[in-house]
Amino acid sequence: MTRLPGSYPLALLIALFALVPVGVLVSLASDTAQLFDAHNLKVLGNTLALMGLTVLGSVLIGVPLALLTAYVYLPWRRLWLILFAAPLAMPSYIGAFTLYAAFGPGGEINNLTGLPTPAFYGLPGAALVMTLYTYPFVLLTTRASLLSLDASLVNAARTLGMSLGMSLWRVVLPRVFNGIAAGALLAALYTLSDFGTPAIMRLDTFTRVIYVEYNAFGLSQAAMLSLQLLVIVGLVLFLESRVKATRERPGRRLMLWPSRWQVNALLAAALPVSLLSIVLPLAIFGLWLVREGTAGFQFSYAWNSTYASFLAAVVAVVLAVPVAHAAISGKAGRIMERVTYFGFGVPGIVMGTALVYVGLKLPFLYQTLGLLVLAYVLRFLPLAVGSVRSSAESLDPSLVKAARLLGASPKEAFTRITLPLTLRGMIAGAALVFLEAMRELPATLLLGPTGFETLATYLWRVYEAGYFGRAAVPGLLLVLMSGLGLALMLTGERRGEFDVTEDSNR
Amino acid sequence: MQRRTFVQALAGAGLLGSLPLSAARALAATAGAVSVEDLPALKGELTLYLGRGEGGLYENVLQAIQKRNPDFTLNIRRGVTAALANTIVAEAKAGVRRADVFWAVDSGAIGLVNGEGLARPLPADLTGQLKEGFRYDNWSPVTGRIRTLPFNSDKLSADKIPDSVMALPDSGLSIGWAPAYASFQSFITAMRLLEGEKATGEWLKAMNKRGKNYAGELGVVMAVERGEVDVGFANHYYTLRLKAGKPDAAVDLAFTNNDAGCLVNASGILALSEGELPVNFIRYLLTREVQSYLASEAYEIPLVDGVAPPEGLPALSTVSPPKMDLTRLADLRPTLDLMRRVGVL
Repeated sequence: MTRLPGSYPLALLIALFALVPVGVLVSLASDTAQLFDAHNLKVLGNTLALMGLTVLGSVLIGVPLALLTAYVYLPWRRLWLILFAAPLAMPSYIGAFTLYAAFGPGGEINNLTGLPTPAFYGLPGAALVMTLYTYPFVLLTTRASLLSLDASLVNAARTLGMSLGMSLWRVVLPRVFNGIAAGALLAALYTLSDFGTPAIMRLDTFTRVIYVEYNAFGLSQAAMLSLQLLVIVGLVLFLESRVKATRERPGRRLMLWPSRWQVNALLAAALPVSLLSIVLPLAIFGLWLVREGTAGFQFSYAWNSTYASFLAAVVAVVLAVPVAHAAISGKAGRIMERVTYFGFGVPGIVMGTALVYVGLKLPFLYQTLGLLVLAYVLRFLPLAVGSVRSSAESLDPSLVKAARLLGASPKEAFTRITLPLTLRGMIAGAALVFLEAMRELPATLLLGPTGFETLATYLWRVYEAGYFGRAAVPGLLLVLMSGLGLALMLTGERRGEFDVTEDSNR
Repeated sequence: MQRRTFVQALAGAGLLGSLPLSAARALAATAGAVSVEDLPALKGELTLYLGRGEGGLYENVLQAIQKRNPDFTLNIRRGVTAALANTIVAEAKAGVRRADVFWAVDSGAIGLVNGEGLARPLPADLTGQLKEGFRYDNWSPVTGRIRTLPFNSDKLSADKIPDSVMALPDSGLSIGWAPAYASFQSFITAMRLLEGEKATGEWLKAMNKRGKNYAGELGVVMAVERGEVDVGFANHYYTLRLKAGKPDAAVDLAFTNNDAGCLVNASGILALSEGELPVNFIRYLLTREVQSYLASEAYEIPLVDGVAPPEGLPALSTVSPPKMDLTRLADLRPTLDLMRRVGVL
């Protein structure tokens, strides 16, 4: 009989805890009369159509950009990479908000230049916005796969007379299929859980309809819709778990040296993407800032956002350590870890709906910061777990053994060996949770204490009231904070798909 | 362009936020309305559930009240009116009470809470300030609003719009509406009470084919002005506010005749906890200063006796609203079920 790892009981507890929202939803949904009606079918259709178009769009943009940044020699290579990955630092609802305000008759562009522009709304608008903010997932995972390939196969194909384009198509792409699929599934997951974009683009997806139902306090109907959404989310999570990274014997990386005009043409082709996803929102917010100033904004909104997100980050990392440890220790622990991953798939609106009910049953939690932080932790724990685990996995156990052999106590071995070596992972995990909690909108709307306004909820309020100009300060702050969080995460996490540092030694 | 000028107009109005309680801004004062100068100072802490809707104008009033009463702390929870009403009821059922006062943009939501027996009776001298027909025992209307049909005046003239809301589906016009918006839901409740469940359901179904959804009624009016739709459903003040910021805006108001389409509704407030403070807080909202501020800046119809109505609205005597007890608009649940059943919500 082997002894069970010490982290198991704690990890099991946390895993069971992560399932609480689902239990609540099932009990809420059990007293609804309508399981499924024609309207649900339409909502399902909209949700799947948006997901499909987003995945398609993010692959169409992400894969060429991955090829460009991985294999083509460009001046200022890292700058381009950061620029193309930057939409990751922006919540998509900010993109939806600014795109909605910029285009269309009477939009800001029409207003400034007199040029008529088409309005963005509905399925095309939502799909465009989602694509612009999810393609970096595909870009980064695909690029990581591309970098792990050996160029000699392409060179062999070229020597045998295949054109460059053909050899990329027939030799390279099949080998990075899993990388593309991994990014596409992340994009799909993000699309399913996003609330702000479909709401602003007026597309009835599950998240938006759940919000409407909740606001009419049709809790049971909202719960039923939530469970239906969770089925799709579960399916995507399952598919994601089946995608395995391709492993190839490392070799020399393929490098293409285009001529100057080719470089310019490539970048010109990629430019509209960055213009729409990064430059446009910043320009619109800048315009509003100049025009309206900082009226209505209170510093407390930024402080509330930071404070709540910081608490969530700390709690999430503390809880992530035993789960990550359990995941490394054995198969059962691996399952417990997988269970906590479910939280990331639970959209904020669903988590909020479930926890409002928990709060009403436990009045001491109702409308407290504690419940809000709890929601953040349940949703974003997997981010911390993944980050802590990957840094703990890379730790060579013989280091600790060597320290013990040399006379260090277990405590000293932990503080002097284990902790410093996993600290980067913990910080990266905390940064990631902080980043996501900062941008979280729907659960914050439902669960926040009375009078507790965050950057995200304030942004939503000015959007609903039509005070677009007042969105400038919170919008810019949110982008700034997201950018800082992303930078911290990139420096903290040396390994993994989000690595952009490897080409410093070109 | 309308969005900018409109927002600028609102922001300009916002600058007056610190002023509305100064006597200088008060319009014609008569017997009915009390001045803030005559009210007792507020002391203590109060939690207000505030139904969303009026942009920053209610905020300005609340800020001014707080500024005037330094010993008074007001915690505000904002949300969709119907959601807050339902939340208050759900909280009461779970045995928790968080709100002391509930200010709803719509009297249906007020009726819902009142119907559960949660509202505290208000003193007669408070309700007595209100216009005849707007006096209730357990709650107080704050301002009135009329349902209107804003239409694009470049494309249409008022005579092209049927004077019965029930005839609208056959008019061939494209419609903008906000089915998730509390005022709209009250309007459908009124229709359901006046025309019956079946007729309302068929009307909704027929309208759904020409209807385009917006998040709120401000969005509806802006879309009408842009020409995205021909006609919309919205409370009167959105159009007046838009035209105040942009006088040449291509939007005008049409009224239907003696049906739910021109229902006069009211925003209202009620006290959920006992004591002087909630009642005195409500008194502030009925003062001459607040009422005339909401009339002149928000274009809402003052309901306290003797405060001048907003400019730009046709005389109420030319509009023929249906006879309706506003508290009956509380019967919201069947409306939501109906809207959901026909696929509008």
